[in-house]
Amino acid sequence: MVAAGSRAAGVSEPLPTLLVIPTGIGCEQGGFAGDALPVARLLAAASDCLITHPNVMNGAALYWSDPRIHYVEGWSLDAFAKGSLRLRPQRRQRIGVLFDAGIEPELLLRHRQVLAAARATLGLDIGPELVSDEPLGVRLSQASSGSSWGQLEQPGALLQAGSRLKHAGATAIAVVARFPDDNGSGALEAYRNGSGVDALAGAEAVISHLLVRELQIPCAHAPALAPLAPMAELDSRAAAEELGHTFLPCVLVGLSRAPDLCPASEPWRSQELAIDQVGAVVAPAGALGGETVLACADRGIPIVAVRSNPSLLQVDAAALDLAVVPAADYSAAAGLVLAWREGLDPRALMRPLSAC
Amino acid sequence: MRLQPFELELVIEPQRWQQGRVAACRQALAAHGEPLRWAITAAEQRPEGQWLRLEAVLLV
Repeated sequence: MVAAGSRAAGVSEPLPTLLVIPTGIGCEQGGFAGDALPVARLLAAASDCLITHPNVMNGAALYWSDPRIHYVEGWSLDAFAKGSLRLRPQRRQRIGVLFDAGIEPELLLRHRQVLAAARATLGLDIGPELVSDEPLGVRLSQASSGSSWGQLEQPGALLQAGSRLKHAGATAIAVVARFPDDNGSGALEAYRNGSGVDALAGAEAVISHLLVRELQIPCAHAPALAPLAPMAELDSRAAAEELGHTFLPCVLVGLSRAPDLCPASEPWRSQELAIDQVGAVVAPAGALGGETVLACADRGIPIVAVRSNPSLLQVDAAALDLAVVPAADYSAAAGLVLAWREGLDPRALMRPLSAC
Repeated sequence: MRLQPFELELVIEPQRWQQGRVAACRQALAAHGEPLRWAITAAEQRPEGQWLRLEAVLLV
């Protein structure tokens, strides 16, 4: 858990830090299958308290659990940054599982075996599960910027099933929706070659945003897809999605210790994290136009703009008239966070020294 | 309830932009529905103010 407690002499207090790598815009790092996890681990070590979202942490069958990293879905991350939610660290969540009625029996069986394995092998508390009353009808699309978007034909069926799970005792929800299979499109080939946009990401975000907005508990999504034929030249960053039959393991692990979402209108309790404790937000230099980063800018929280993570977008500090602290890459960003955590002025580390 | 993809281009007065970037964007989108997910996907400082292109999924 993040909250400081007693610390050894000479060890600095945590500097809560947000890491944002937007979904579905083709980021070089974090635009694939959990390929920003090393970044999250480094920033967690530098800050001792990292708050980030599933796109950063989810590597399908691969995952990393670290009590210093708080797994917070995008809608709730935005709400946290705006000050309307606080985060209450938890040791354990009871994860309800919502399956799309559009999933075929064999694929559903594969997912149910993940639940069994997560109970037996990881000891996770997997709560009630159910199948939606009707297929959710996921549709994928692309916005004019080229970023991936998507929507649901039956949002009411999703919300109704999520509500039943919450009433049955789930404190977090993993949702598995049947996504349209891609039978060899150029976009999929580019993604597997390491040069494209994750076509599923936008619709995934819409599903989890909708559930969290309605239920106010941690939620995350895994797509159900038919397996792809093996590809010899598969890019390493996309490889985690081709190791197994489902993308569900990372979601269960992430949710298992996700913080509770507490309305800011409720009295503050010790151990909770609020936006006014956050010392920095780290984001790609060309993707600063999301709600979390802008909310931090509105509050004067330092924005570390990482230049080494280009994407489809060029929404940078100059375009938005924002003050940022540039960082050449994530190692430099971690250095900045560590310096601030230690109470150092990062300019003191540079030569020649700049004037005051 | 229905989900509606939506795109909008607008210019925001510099002072209003600096006073509250999130509020300015949300207010522009709210005229068309509740923004469930949105982002600025193109931006530029222009003499008349802050030009933005917003892409969103709205609840309508």
